[in-house]
Amino acid sequence: MDTKIRLRRYLQFVIKYNTVFIFLVMLVVSAIVSDVFFTTNNLFNLVRQVTPVGIISMGMLLVILTGGIDLSVGSIVAMVGVLCALFTQSMPLPLVIITSLVCGLMVGSVSGYLVSIHKLAPFIATLAIMSIVRGLGFIISKGAPVLVNENASALTDFGSGNSLGIPNPALILFLVFVITAVLLKYNIFGRIIIAIGSNEEAVRLSGIKVSAYKFSVYAIAGGLSAVAGIITTARTAVGSPVMGVGMELDVIAAVVIGGARLSGGKGTAINTLLGVMILGMIGNIMNLINIPAYSQQVIKGLIIIFAVLLQRFQANSN
Amino acid sequence: MVNRVELRNISKSFGGISALKNVTFKVMPGEIHALVGENGAGKSTLMKILSGAYTKDNGQIFIDDTEVNIKNTHDSKKLGIGIIYQEFSLVPELSVAENVFLNQLGRTGFWMKQGKLQKEAEILINSIGFSINPSSKAGDLSIAQQQIVEISKALSEHVRILILDEPSAVLGPQEIQKLFDTLDRLKKEGVAIIYISHHLSEIFQIADRVTVLKDGTSSESLHVSETDRDSIIRLMLGRSLEAMYPVRNSIIGEEVLRVVDIYQADKVRGVSFGLKAGEIVGIAGLVGSGRTETARAVFAADKREKGKIYLSGKELQIRSPREAVSKGIGMVPEDRKQHGVILSLSIKINISLTDFRGVSYHFGFIKAKKESNNAIELIRKLAIKTENENQEVGYLSGGNQQKVSLAKWLNRNCKVLIIDEPTRGVDVGAKVEIYNLINELSDKGVAIIVISSETAELMGTCDRILVMRKGQIQGELAKNEFSEEDILRMSIGAN
Repeated sequence: MDTKIRLRRYLQFVIKYNTVFIFLVMLVVSAIVSDVFFTTNNLFNLVRQVTPVGIISMGMLLVILTGGIDLSVGSIVAMVGVLCALFTQSMPLPLVIITSLVCGLMVGSVSGYLVSIHKLAPFIATLAIMSIVRGLGFIISKGAPVLVNENASALTDFGSGNSLGIPNPALILFLVFVITAVLLKYNIFGRIIIAIGSNEEAVRLSGIKVSAYKFSVYAIAGGLSAVAGIITTARTAVGSPVMGVGMELDVIAAVVIGGARLSGGKGTAINTLLGVMILGMIGNIMNLINIPAYSQQVIKGLIIIFAVLLQRFQANSN
Repeated sequence: MVNRVELRNISKSFGGISALKNVTFKVMPGEIHALVGENGAGKSTLMKILSGAYTKDNGQIFIDDTEVNIKNTHDSKKLGIGIIYQEFSLVPELSVAENVFLNQLGRTGFWMKQGKLQKEAEILINSIGFSINPSSKAGDLSIAQQQIVEISKALSEHVRILILDEPSAVLGPQEIQKLFDTLDRLKKEGVAIIYISHHLSEIFQIADRVTVLKDGTSSESLHVSETDRDSIIRLMLGRSLEAMYPVRNSIIGEEVLRVVDIYQADKVRGVSFGLKAGEIVGIAGLVGSGRTETARAVFAADKREKGKIYLSGKELQIRSPREAVSKGIGMVPEDRKQHGVILSLSIKINISLTDFRGVSYHFGFIKAKKESNNAIELIRKLAIKTENENQEVGYLSGGNQQKVSLAKWLNRNCKVLIIDEPTRGVDVGAKVEIYNLINELSDKGVAIIVISSETAELMGTCDRILVMRKGQIQGELAKNEFSEEDILRMSIGAN
């Protein structure tokens, strides 16, 4: 009887911290199945790989917290990536980055405008934007990858370089994560985002301009997608219109693995980051032990189901 | 005669907190047995055990003197137990007819026979004295109509035991009368009816016996004809209730709000009235008379089509609740769970939603200490029963949730406060506290509009009552003219 109760407590603990638990299990499994996993080289690789998804996932988290969804993020990565490479051919670097960011913010703002002012369903609005922006990416690049100009070597150096011994893109991810975490925990903005996802009408009747907040989360998601686009282009020295196909699904999966509720109001930055890492590790470790890409997708799907089922138990045990 | 239902020594606890302690409760066939008690006394828990939503920890249940084991809602349905919950269980996207017959949709074969279904639903709804279009979507109905569909749904099956949990909370006086007629009919047919209510007047009107629950234990069952209001209140509270309503010491000042000829989507058709500082004005009327819509139009929660609103003599151009709030108007909405509070967030967060600038630095960073202290002070002032300010509002009882819904506006120093149904689903003790609070606010010069379906509540708290009917103000009564009869006559248009 006693052991049963104790077992139950352990189980409840695991269910409560399911994201952390899965993350730790993944770490242990990875270390066991592959002796190269814990090499600096591989870890840096892993971090570089997850950076774009990670940065966008923070924007997606904000959107999902309001009860929305943004499917256009992958397309924005591609379009901004292409634009960024193009801009390097005619503009000084600071201007390249600012203009690219503004493009992402603008696309996000269009989604935000459609959702908050015209009350379009976020799924539909951003599905349309996803299609439009993907198309624009191809039009701008004429369907071919655009090379980053040699004058902009600072950009590519930054993308592939390290600071303080850590890959630069990972530092940006960390920065974005910290800002998001602080906003959600200590700032009114995050507070209201969560409140909107919990009960939008109650927030409106409390005298808060709900539309402004809803608008801003899509703009932020667009802006962060642009950051991811710039980083990807910087890392590869090429802006390609086929970047980020299906990326929105990886981002959403990471947020969901991190325990956020798709109907809004529940989710944290740290768990989302763990979700990103879990998803990245699945891909990384399967590459290391040479599991073919097709099987990888199946396994990825299974792990998502497992993670979400664990969260179900949590909801039920409450 | 044998008891239709007998609950013997029922106990139930939730994670160490005991909700019911050795409760015994008997209902005869053809009897209306009222179950009363404050919120949190265990009424709903007891009924959920009978309906199979919860399982008991200890005790026995007998139906017609045979012990039964109710493990889930299916078991209870098979025993002929029908329940109408306080929270509605309608599917908003389905039609009225489909909702009424929701658990029997398969009975006409694989394909749905919409026509037949609608016909039957219509007959059923008419038989309890109402008319609702059976093909309209449940989600489009008013709360009162939804309640009626809910009742029809319970009656669509052959019930031998009918449980009603606060059925009248959302109904107007006329609708309540029809509900009572229906219950009377069912009683004559030999159905055992358990009627949960906060309204003692209803109990004297309709019930045969009454049992009081207090802190999870049951009292003797009393015959209604042999008891009185005060004895029941004493059993509920453990003390005598001197007066429900506080003494009004109205100091009425200058006019603060003037509403001139406002219209809103056919629901409000030319409403004008004025409101002075320190004054409490009640709006009475049946459900659907446009009371709530008038309030929402003043608060700019809905867009009004015509008309002007003046605040302290200046015309107000407000298009959203945000602008209304910034001008000093607050509203405690009718539907507390949907609109009043956010159940999944803490008391503290709910309270500071109306005044987040007051608890944050530049760039929105939260002054955690100040926010907590602010919430703690309001929790103390309103006697909200909670462990601390970080408790989720969803875990509080109805009365305490309502206090949070009110507390939100106390940190705004509103000039005008509109309170729609201040005490719906709130127990007697909390009611008194809420009345005192409203009174106190008006003493400080806040101009208050109270909307209520309870005439007695309006008469007890207000200085003046406006009676609405079909989107217009049918009449106005000053304090010395208050009479329940006149208000009812005006609201049904019989003057």
